[in-house]
Amino acid sequence: MEQQDLQCSMQAVEQSCAALHVSDPGIRSSAEATLLAFRKSPHPFYACQYILENSQVATAKFLAAATIQEAAIREWTLISPEEKSRLRSYCLQYVMARVETSEGYILSKILSVVAALLKRGWLEYTQAEKASFLEEVEQAVAGRHGLAAQRFGISLLEALVSEFSLSTASPMGLPAEFHDKCRASLEAGYLQKFYAWAFDASVMVASKALEGQGENQESAICTIAIRLMTQILNWEFRGKLAVLGKSRASTLSSSPASRKSSEQLQLWHDLLVSPAKVTWILNFYEHIHQKGNAWLDLPLSVVVRQLIVLMCSLNGSIFPTDGAGTQEQHLQRLLNCIISWIDPPEYVISAVLAGTSESEMLDGCRALLAIATLCSPSSFDQLLLSFRQTGTLSLLSSLTCGIIKASCVRESEEPSWTYEALEVLLETWTVILQPADLSQKVPLPPSGIEAASAVFQTFVEFEMKLSESSALDEDDADDMAAFSDEAREDRLSAVALIARTVPSVSLSLLTMLVSKCFSEIRQSLGSETTTRCLEQLHWLTILSGHVLADPGEGETPTVPESILAVSAEPATHPAVSLSFALIDVAQQSLDATFRTTLSPRMMEAIVWFFGRWVETYLMPDHAGRGPSSTPSGHEGQGVSVGVLFDGRNALNAAFGKDGGGPAVLEILVRVALTSLTAWRGEQVLQEYVSSRLLPALVRRRNVCVQLLSMGSWQELATVFARQDQMLLSLSDSVQRALSGCLCRSAQGLANADAANHYVKDLLMPMAASLAEFSGRKDLATFSQQPNVIHQVSCVLERLRGAARETIPRTQKAIFEVGVSIMKPLLVFMEIYKNQPSVVYLLLKYVVVWVDAEVVFLEPKDTTTVFNFCVQLLSVYSAHNIGKVSVSTSRSLQNEAQTEKYKDLRALLQLLTNLSSKDLFDFALHADENPDVAQVVYLGLNIITPLISADLLKYPKLCRQYFTLLMHMLEVYPEKVAKISPEGFSQIIGTLEFGLRQQDVEVVNMTLSALGALGVFQYQALCKGDDGLGAQSRTSGGDDVLSHFLKLLMHFLLFEDYSNDLVEPAADALLPLILCNTALFEKLKQELVQRHQDVESQERVSTAFHSLSRGIEIASTIDRSIRRKFRSNLFVFLNDLRGFLRTR
Amino acid sequence: MSDEEHHFDNKADAGASKTYPQQAGTIRKNAYIVIKQRPCKVVEVSTSKTGKHGHAKCHFVGIDIFTGKKLEDIVPSSHNCDVPEVTRTDYQLIDISEDGFVSLLTENGDTKDDLRLPTDDQLNAQISSGFHDGKDLVVTVMSALGEEQICALKDIGPK
Repeated sequence: MEQQDLQCSMQAVEQSCAALHVSDPGIRSSAEATLLAFRKSPHPFYACQYILENSQVATAKFLAAATIQEAAIREWTLISPEEKSRLRSYCLQYVMARVETSEGYILSKILSVVAALLKRGWLEYTQAEKASFLEEVEQAVAGRHGLAAQRFGISLLEALVSEFSLSTASPMGLPAEFHDKCRASLEAGYLQKFYAWAFDASVMVASKALEGQGENQESAICTIAIRLMTQILNWEFRGKLAVLGKSRASTLSSSPASRKSSEQLQLWHDLLVSPAKVTWILNFYEHIHQKGNAWLDLPLSVVVRQLIVLMCSLNGSIFPTDGAGTQEQHLQRLLNCIISWIDPPEYVISAVLAGTSESEMLDGCRALLAIATLCSPSSFDQLLLSFRQTGTLSLLSSLTCGIIKASCVRESEEPSWTYEALEVLLETWTVILQPADLSQKVPLPPSGIEAASAVFQTFVEFEMKLSESSALDEDDADDMAAFSDEAREDRLSAVALIARTVPSVSLSLLTMLVSKCFSEIRQSLGSETTTRCLEQLHWLTILSGHVLADPGEGETPTVPESILAVSAEPATHPAVSLSFALIDVAQQSLDATFRTTLSPRMMEAIVWFFGRWVETYLMPDHAGRGPSSTPSGHEGQGVSVGVLFDGRNALNAAFGKDGGGPAVLEILVRVALTSLTAWRGEQVLQEYVSSRLLPALVRRRNVCVQLLSMGSWQELATVFARQDQMLLSLSDSVQRALSGCLCRSAQGLANADAANHYVKDLLMPMAASLAEFSGRKDLATFSQQPNVIHQVSCVLERLRGAARETIPRTQKAIFEVGVSIMKPLLVFMEIYKNQPSVVYLLLKYVVVWVDAEVVFLEPKDTTTVFNFCVQLLSVYSAHNIGKVSVSTSRSLQNEAQTEKYKDLRALLQLLTNLSSKDLFDFALHADENPDVAQVVYLGLNIITPLISADLLKYPKLCRQYFTLLMHMLEVYPEKVAKISPEGFSQIIGTLEFGLRQQDVEVVNMTLSALGALGVFQYQALCKGDDGLGAQSRTSGGDDVLSHFLKLLMHFLLFEDYSNDLVEPAADALLPLILCNTALFEKLKQELVQRHQDVESQERVSTAFHSLSRGIEIASTIDRSIRRKFRSNLFVFLNDLRGFLRTR
Repeated sequence: MSDEEHHFDNKADAGASKTYPQQAGTIRKNAYIVIKQRPCKVVEVSTSKTGKHGHAKCHFVGIDIFTGKKLEDIVPSSHNCDVPEVTRTDYQLIDISEDGFVSLLTENGDTKDDLRLPTDDQLNAQISSGFHDGKDLVVTVMSALGEEQICALKDIGPK
């Protein structure tokens, strides 16, 4: 190219670069187009070089560098080997020549270009070529060509490591296999060398680096050398070396390692954990440490500390198998250095408070966490004892206490260093007290007990102060609260874990404080002091809940072992005393005058606490009485039984069935009733009652037996059944939950008759009032009155809550109630057609009711239910299809859309529930059962026009829709085939949509649906039937199934998906292939011809051959064929995906 | 149909101008509420407390169902709010007069001539064009607090 041309293209690029910052979008986009064209232009190397050398515009140079990389990789096969090496050495010389200049980012971009070029050719170079190139780099890194070259050598290595690492590799349009081979080659052959070179380089410049203010050339070199070392330690090692990296838990398998890898391990061992190397690093940091505060945040100090923390987490077979002796020494060595960052805690923390940088202290905490992860509690403690009087645990304890106190001083800044430090330290405690592998849990050494109790006391003291001072804050920052709730939950669980290691101390402290706060509240009725005490008591209640019990969340929680192990008289057992202190507070809330002193927030805490407590402590089923018995597991262990039994006796006497349990239960029911009625409008509280406390009470049968015999429960049930205004004013979710709990308690009744009777008494009055409403003469006007709407909605919510809690022994009653209101419901569906909220509640009730009942139904009843559903669906569709409603406001319009969406979901659920009926009744005679298919077919006709791609973007709706679709296609493909052409193409469209979803489950269901469709068609073909017939041809003339065959092949070979999808994909693919073998053959040819060389062609066609092996002759699709094809597909994808997919 | 009867119709509808008290805490999103004497649909409810240990209050954001204006209100959740009776009635469209009034057929065979075409352009266009194409249209009239407006339309003509 002529000089002038080069000059021109440089100017064009420079101008375009400048134009990128112009505000006019037209100019900007044309500049972008110019630059893109430049990047895509063929063989732009000379122009790029010219720009790099002559341009004054930094962005232009950067762009030129990027263009070299892009073009070289794009044209790799066209460029001669000489040209390639010329480009590489040009880049290297360019950097060498300018290493002193300030354009750091351009130089590092060029280095990454070199790295990319090297990687692109990596598998083509001979060993000797690589070796000679790297030897030059080594010379540079070793400092033989001066400081500048040294620095540049290390930077090049950094660029190489990041280019070869899979997560940071740049795209090259090559198969994943290529990237992986490069990674493996670097890992096996070079990383170790790089680490050693970097280490030597830093040793070489270290003493100079420490001179001056840390800004000289040597210090920069040292920084990047050590950064390279941390980068290598962070490398994701695979295979035998997997133990090196961050994967802490993994240890080398016991199979004898190959000689080569064990040699490698030995080398790594020498590099990383040999005393000399480690000591050098530690000493080096020691020197930095002594330089004082100004040095702490320098990049050099930061990376050295990072390296040290990383070394703390080294684990696995890099240490010889000598009973962890070497590892212990290694950790001791590290701890000996780290200790100066955090010890003595008071001194370090006050220094930080006075303005010293906190980064060193934080890194110290992180190192402690890393070490704790690798040690048992006692060996963790021992680490420090080898060279000091006190153990590591007491250091950890005083550090934690110090941080807690310090956060008292500076609570203003939210994400402060104290916060972060406390997070790390509490995690350290958690790791020590509750290792990930519970089998490795060992008791704390005695010094740890003291340490833990000190931490707990400090924490309580601090939080009490905090509550006192924040009690009068206006609590209006809602989103803040949501954030801190989760963080607080984590923190409280961590602290509770600490508290449980010292149950006697912690529980007595809590008891004492609860009683103290409560008595202060009683003395200071209604002043600011009350509010402060309330806030403190609130916090204490929450903490007590965490310490005493675990959240159930579907499992039966047990009393924490350490609390059970405390042996004491029933009256003096610390857990009993604490529980009674809080029961006392709860009981006082029943007093109407005193109640005014308590606040809703306080009541919420109380109700929350008992919701949690009840499941663990109240009338537990005794061990050994049944499989669900609460504190099981200990019996087998023998040793501890005697000790544990003491605590259990005390707890049983206090809260057992024959002890104080019933009395406590009575109090709790009264508290629940009062909270629902006396705290008008306090929704949060009422929700806690109905969704935490009451469900906990009715969860276990023996408690229900007790409940039903109690006057207070009867009272609650009566008020409920009477539709008393008191309870009607509760919000909808509370109505549902309350009704569900009342019905659930029927499990405590001796037999089904009694249970059905009880439930009918509860629900029939409400069903009757619905029937009465629907029969009124003035229904049209009456029904539209807001109070009537409210009552109808309430009743519907209650019935839904009750239906949701259907249990076998109350099923009959729930069914009868449902049948009795079928007629009224149809009337309401009609009359409330303009009240979408009522329609929705109605649909939801029917959905839940059908879901609960469908398993139990006799054929006769099934007919009733199905007829009802058909009627309901037709009334719904009569009023909701084809109606255009426009609203004056966009937000109202959106609301209307949302309502439609929710209705649609309910309808989908209903259809799915209905269609599940024949899954249960498989064995019954078909003619006895009403035609499920007919019902669902009708439903599908109603629903398909309403579904749109936009609506399917809602994940819940999407799942429901595909569940239904899958089921329909699997069970009634012939019905689906008969649906209207528009409907059918709608279904096909959504199937294609489903295949492209992110949600694995949706794709899975789509695949099943496709498979079912394929099987249907294939069987029809075999029988000579019409199958899908005219439906299968889309408007484009292409066969639907062939279309999906192409789509699925492309999906499998070229797209990202979870491995779990391969099996369902195989099941879908098989019938599609069988339906159209010709097309399959064509697809294969297309893929084969994509490749130029014979070897690749061979590979593809062999893979295809093995895929179809054994299935050609299949005349029916049975299980063995499916299984065969699945394994074929796995092999096929293994062979081809890495090879065909490019990156 | 005489004028008198016409008035009588309106009076029969007068029940629609009534409001009912309902506890603020039970009023949900999508329900109706009266804010500043206007019937609104609630599009947002949030609850908060007056101070940490105070009582709950509800914050309502409502959209005026006739004008589309946004209105807000804060009420202690144990207090009562007014809930308007909002009704929707379907009428068959008989005629559109030149001055923008519509003529509707009531259920008992009378006509109702006191409503204008809706202000919403889209709906307006659909009604007008549908009517001129000779389609059979049913319009829905929404009424609350004594006010009325056409809010929806449906083509019931032969398919």
